[in-house]
Amino acid sequence: MTFWSRIRSWLHATVQRSCVESEMDAELRFHVEMYADDLIRSGVPREEALRRARLNFGGIESAKEECREARGVHFAETLWQDLRYGARTMLRSPGFTVTAVLALALGIGANTAIFSVVNAVLLRPLPFDQPERLIQVWHTPPQKSFPGVPTFAVSPANFLDWRRQNHSFQGLSAYGFGRYTLTGSGHPEAIRMVAATVGLFSLLHAQPLLGRGFLDGEDEPGREHEVVLSYGFWHSYFAGNSDVVGKNIQLNGQAFTVVGVMRPEFDFPIFSDPDSRTQMWKPLAWTDQERAIRGDHNYAVIGRLQDGVTLRQAQAELDAISSRLAQDYPNDNRGWGAIAIPLRDDLVGDVRPALLILLGAVALVLLIACANVANLVLARALSRRKEVAVRTALGATRRRLLQQVISETLLLACAGGVLGLVLAHYSLIWMVKFLAQWLPRSGEIALDGWVLAFTLGISLLTGFAAGLLPALRVAKADLNQALKQGLGRTAADSGGSRTRNVLVVSEVALSLMLLIGAGLLIRSLWVLHNVNPGFDARGVVTMNVSIPINKFTEPAQQISYFARVLDRVRNLPGVQSAGLIDSLPLSEDGSHQPISQEGRPAAPMADLPEVEVRLISPGYMDAMHIPLLSGRELDDSDVAGRVGAVLISESMAKFFWPQEDPIGKRLTLYFFPELTRVVVGVVADVKISALNETQAQPTLYFPLAQMSAARGETWHSFGMKLAVRTSAEPLSVVPVIAGAVRATDGEVPLLNIRTMDDSVSASLSPARFTMWLLGAFAGLALLLAMVGIYSVMSFAVSRRTNEIGIRLALGASRNDVLALIVRQALLLALIGSAIGIVGALSLSRLMASQLYGVRPTDPLTFVTVAALLLIVSLAASYIPARRAMRVDPMVALRYE
Amino acid sequence: MVKPIDLLQGTLDILILKAVSLGPLHGYGVLLRIQQISKDQLEIQQGSLYPALYRLEHQGWIASEWGESENKRKAKYYRLTPAGKRRFQAETEKWNRMADVMAGILSTTPEEV
Repeated sequence: MTFWSRIRSWLHATVQRSCVESEMDAELRFHVEMYADDLIRSGVPREEALRRARLNFGGIESAKEECREARGVHFAETLWQDLRYGARTMLRSPGFTVTAVLALALGIGANTAIFSVVNAVLLRPLPFDQPERLIQVWHTPPQKSFPGVPTFAVSPANFLDWRRQNHSFQGLSAYGFGRYTLTGSGHPEAIRMVAATVGLFSLLHAQPLLGRGFLDGEDEPGREHEVVLSYGFWHSYFAGNSDVVGKNIQLNGQAFTVVGVMRPEFDFPIFSDPDSRTQMWKPLAWTDQERAIRGDHNYAVIGRLQDGVTLRQAQAELDAISSRLAQDYPNDNRGWGAIAIPLRDDLVGDVRPALLILLGAVALVLLIACANVANLVLARALSRRKEVAVRTALGATRRRLLQQVISETLLLACAGGVLGLVLAHYSLIWMVKFLAQWLPRSGEIALDGWVLAFTLGISLLTGFAAGLLPALRVAKADLNQALKQGLGRTAADSGGSRTRNVLVVSEVALSLMLLIGAGLLIRSLWVLHNVNPGFDARGVVTMNVSIPINKFTEPAQQISYFARVLDRVRNLPGVQSAGLIDSLPLSEDGSHQPISQEGRPAAPMADLPEVEVRLISPGYMDAMHIPLLSGRELDDSDVAGRVGAVLISESMAKFFWPQEDPIGKRLTLYFFPELTRVVVGVVADVKISALNETQAQPTLYFPLAQMSAARGETWHSFGMKLAVRTSAEPLSVVPVIAGAVRATDGEVPLLNIRTMDDSVSASLSPARFTMWLLGAFAGLALLLAMVGIYSVMSFAVSRRTNEIGIRLALGASRNDVLALIVRQALLLALIGSAIGIVGALSLSRLMASQLYGVRPTDPLTFVTVAALLLIVSLAASYIPARRAMRVDPMVALRYE
Repeated sequence: MVKPIDLLQGTLDILILKAVSLGPLHGYGVLLRIQQISKDQLEIQQGSLYPALYRLEHQGWIASEWGESENKRKAKYYRLTPAGKRRFQAETEKWNRMADVMAGILSTTPEEV
């Protein structure tokens, strides 16, 4: 028999039961009448013919019954009966039903929500053709100069050598980011631009919607004035007008031709924040001079593996090329390797541990919910033993009893699943809002078919799992004993209670593990909150100031533009101090550069120590309240033509001049060698890229006014960040600042306006998000465990009423009774906690990557959480214990 | 006329398959067809015919659909499915072997043992 025909006929039988019945009637009636007709034709009178036809057919009802059985209606019928019976009994005990459905809904809902995140971020393929073949290639820097830095951007010359020498990749493309200003119609618009070597679109297998991608040779200098628009930008700026191809637009004062528009789904590179989607792509044109740069790393590289080449083979080839390059160019390349990382891992590798921890957490919550429901069902099943016994006596089979209990829990789980979906839907709306800032692909999170299938799957599994244990117990029950014992209220019958105790102990153990995980995260977030970032964020507002680049092409002009902007801003009402920097603290985009100290032998670049290098204006340290530890601050006298002055951070001073006074020491910046610079002051360390930096990063600050012409392109295209300390509410001063900037030299876009407080808070948001979720799940687990203990103890008390009555009658005090019950609860909680602590000790190591300033075995957290759990267990057992205490011995003894 | 013999246990299914293999039939038609090709030598309990039909349909060997009978009435017609056809061939083969074996056994004389 085929599977499908069985399903079909079963479905048919179930869904169209009445229809099937009437069809069967019609068919049999037809038979009888045809038979009668034949008899009439052979001469039998009509009445007699009908009578004989019915008689010859035999028992019509029994034939029907056999037919029903034959087509599988029987199973459907009993299932239907069970479900109806289950629904009725559930409605009769709403307390039980609501508790069970809620527990399951919370468990299933949490799982659905987290799975939709995991599905969108980690599981769903990236929106490219054969995305698993796309590989990001990075440098690996020498660990001596870059301790703990796993990957690094790529230099042009090394990229060109990789591309020429490899046989592993179908295509390899380098790309970088730039901010451009679009002028021509009304307000100037800041454009998020990606400049890429010509192979980018073809290696991504991306077809443009309109026009074309880049042609060979368009990455030659002079031929690169072409752009491809993103679908979103095309729609918002050109209103989706298809004659845009071939049009000229003004970017940074230069004419560019629009050659194509990409499809709506195309987005590369993929960012976490939907607001940072790329708007235009242009060919990356390196001059001959730039093509020779080896030691300055500024580009990202993407490639597509050749068919049949594995990641490992590609990595081996990159290793070989890198070691060859290190030999050929020891000055720039010694210690520099290359690493191939699948695009998806590169994108979401950082968030994977946190998501997997959350997924594990919700799985535990669901297990607890399952145990809880199993417990409730078991309690009910045991109190229905007499009913079960009667049914068995009347001939119900073991299978039938199993089926009935399990169809009840399936019903509960399905109700829980539906409610869980609703919960997941609403919690996802909330979650996506928080996730959008830092979680890649968060825009793709949705309750799609996969998620629904997952929810259905876990609902059925949960229903089955929660029902199995009670069902087995029910079916195992000894008929004779059950009937003899009546309702069986003796403590001696411990069969069921042992199972229930095991369930409660596991609930306690699992929730303890979750609570410890949440506790550790709370501790580490608390530590992070109290970390001194090195500056004072309160009252500071920051923003990007671009340069009107079409007006100011010379670095000297640009420097004077910024000086004039700063001058105006400083004198605004409500502004205490203001300064500029190229990259603010707590951001990832700062520059890392080699320096050489005077008095040390000359060394190749690869051997030079590297420090964070920041370009600042006078007033920056003041605006950020970064304390000056010795020497002087930079001021308006540190300009071109004067002695080069630099400030260094405390950690840099300690690293380079551990025993000496650093003031007056001389050094050269490798990329700005035209000036020898003198250390004039030492300032406090700040957190460079994140609050959870464990080591202070040596940092050097030098004045914008002493910036040379050499590396214009790379910094001015990003603009400078203005930091303003205000005496009023920081954001209220923004319009005045914008006015001052406009008054300086016409309209320029001001971007990323935010308070420094927000930046600090945003840098904690991933940690905070994980903590909130894990905290919520742990809270849920605690609640479920509490319900579990409560129900077990209530049940135990009601079963021991008789025994308690005897104890009281024999002279036990009521406090003895209270202690008796509480002791039992405490014992369960203690065993559960002990198991939970062992489990947590072995699992919390997995969380190490999420922790800061707290060890995974932090004793304070463990002790606090265990104490909390014991207190909660006591509270949960108190009400049943009070009930036991109030037992009236007379009533209890008559109770049997 | 020879008195009809009762059906052997389990043979109704293969008879039904045979009947509908010759063309779609309604239940009463199946009954008539079997009587016709057996030259009225087989006695079929009418009441047991329908459970058998339902069972065969549930197993996917025959399929049914509603149509119009020869006297313009609505009737449920059964036809052989491809799976039923294979099954029918297999059953026929098994039946023939069984019949041969049985015949061989029953015709054995004392001398041959």
